[in-house]
Amino acid sequence: MASTALSYQLEINVPFESAKQATIACNTLSPDPILKKDELTVDYTTSGSNLICLFQGVSDRVIRVAISNVLDNLKTIVECIDEFEGKEDHIFSK
Amino acid sequence: MTVDLDKRLRPGRDYYLALGLEGSANKLGVGIIRHGVGEPGPHNSAQVLSNVRDTYITPPGEGFLPRDTARHHRHWVVRIIKRALADAGVCGRDLDCICFTQGPGMGAPLQSVVIAARTLAQLWNLPLVGVNHCVGHIEMGREITGAQNPVVLYVSGGNTQIIAYSRQRYRIFGETLDIAIGNCLDRFARVLKISNDPAPGYNIEQMAKKGRHLVELPYTVKGMDISMSGILQYVDVLAKDMFSSTPKKNKNLVDQESGELITPEDLCFSLQESLYSMLVEITERAMAHVQSNQVLIVGGVGSNERLQEMMELMVNDRKNGSIHATDERFCIDNGIMIAHAGLLSYRMGQTKELKDTVCTQRFRTDEVWVNWRDD
Repeated sequence: MASTALSYQLEINVPFESAKQATIACNTLSPDPILKKDELTVDYTTSGSNLICLFQGVSDRVIRVAISNVLDNLKTIVECIDEFEGKEDHIFSK
Repeated sequence: MTVDLDKRLRPGRDYYLALGLEGSANKLGVGIIRHGVGEPGPHNSAQVLSNVRDTYITPPGEGFLPRDTARHHRHWVVRIIKRALADAGVCGRDLDCICFTQGPGMGAPLQSVVIAARTLAQLWNLPLVGVNHCVGHIEMGREITGAQNPVVLYVSGGNTQIIAYSRQRYRIFGETLDIAIGNCLDRFARVLKISNDPAPGYNIEQMAKKGRHLVELPYTVKGMDISMSGILQYVDVLAKDMFSSTPKKNKNLVDQESGELITPEDLCFSLQESLYSMLVEITERAMAHVQSNQVLIVGGVGSNERLQEMMELMVNDRKNGSIHATDERFCIDNGIMIAHAGLLSYRMGQTKELKDTVCTQRFRTDEVWVNWRDD
């Protein structure tokens, strides 16, 4: 087996309310680099209002760790969208 | 000053507003600052509209781990942003930019906060500004105290540096060779099981006030640098002997003059005195180097009153010396300093594309181009 083969794959498909939301999530997640590129890659794309995360790794373990991290980040993104989207003119009350 | 800080002024407005997000260690902070148009200075000082902080506090004997700290920040970040906006009474459309700590700090906590910054920036169509944490401390310290061109002692849980400004860089004159002073104090507090609430350093300071005997500790100044890991090791051994169930006869645990036993309070007192003397020594040497008579103390350990007092004794012996320090609102990590330093760079046109907003654990103070100063 070639050392570079990323034989484990997993795709998760996250539905958002709009294409704009999916794009924001994709743009937010994309910049952070994967530290061990020869062990794991993660690609973020959107399709309509869906965010698609494709994980490819050398083992199911590295994929599991990566997904857990992505889901944690997605929680923050979704919470931000829920609380702040369309509220540029809103004064929050104490 | 001939720098033009008003290239980005919005039509019809005479001020700027920035939101700052800080989460490089165990404090999560969000602040909103207002700058009036024109050159900053005593007659045009920045206005703090809100400064909210939530600290992740661990049980006595435990430090904060990156993963748990990141979870804390994720849990609170949206609520703290809302509270900061509410306190300031401003809405998203009023803001000019969103500033975030890009480093240095712990990787996972930094990353958990930048996620919120990126999302919010896109939702509200605002530019992002990456801020060096140390520069945030320095600029906020200068703003609050009015110190023009001080030698800066930056002392916190993750950093110990002596800094002076020269030709648009904050240059590092001396620093720790191993662990940071706050780290040394925190870890010592863990050995003695001192509470982490509100902060281990604060509790050490309170105990030190009751100390009566000075235990001699290693003194490790190396040129302009200092080293603290050996001192930590030394006091750790003393503390362990003190609490051991089968007490070994450690002659250092008995005061030579009075024959009284050394207490934990004495150890806190001795540790503070030794560490702070080292800091005072290298600060004084840096002042002589750059021919400055001002000292500015920033960073979490800078809120220690004993350190401020010892520094003041040194400064008062120098001609026209003055010392500047801030209280815990601005000393300890906070969002407002990130907003302030970020807004200065925003006004100079330094903003980041999303792809350039990756946080980094190592980000030295002198990497930042301080183009908002030209003195």
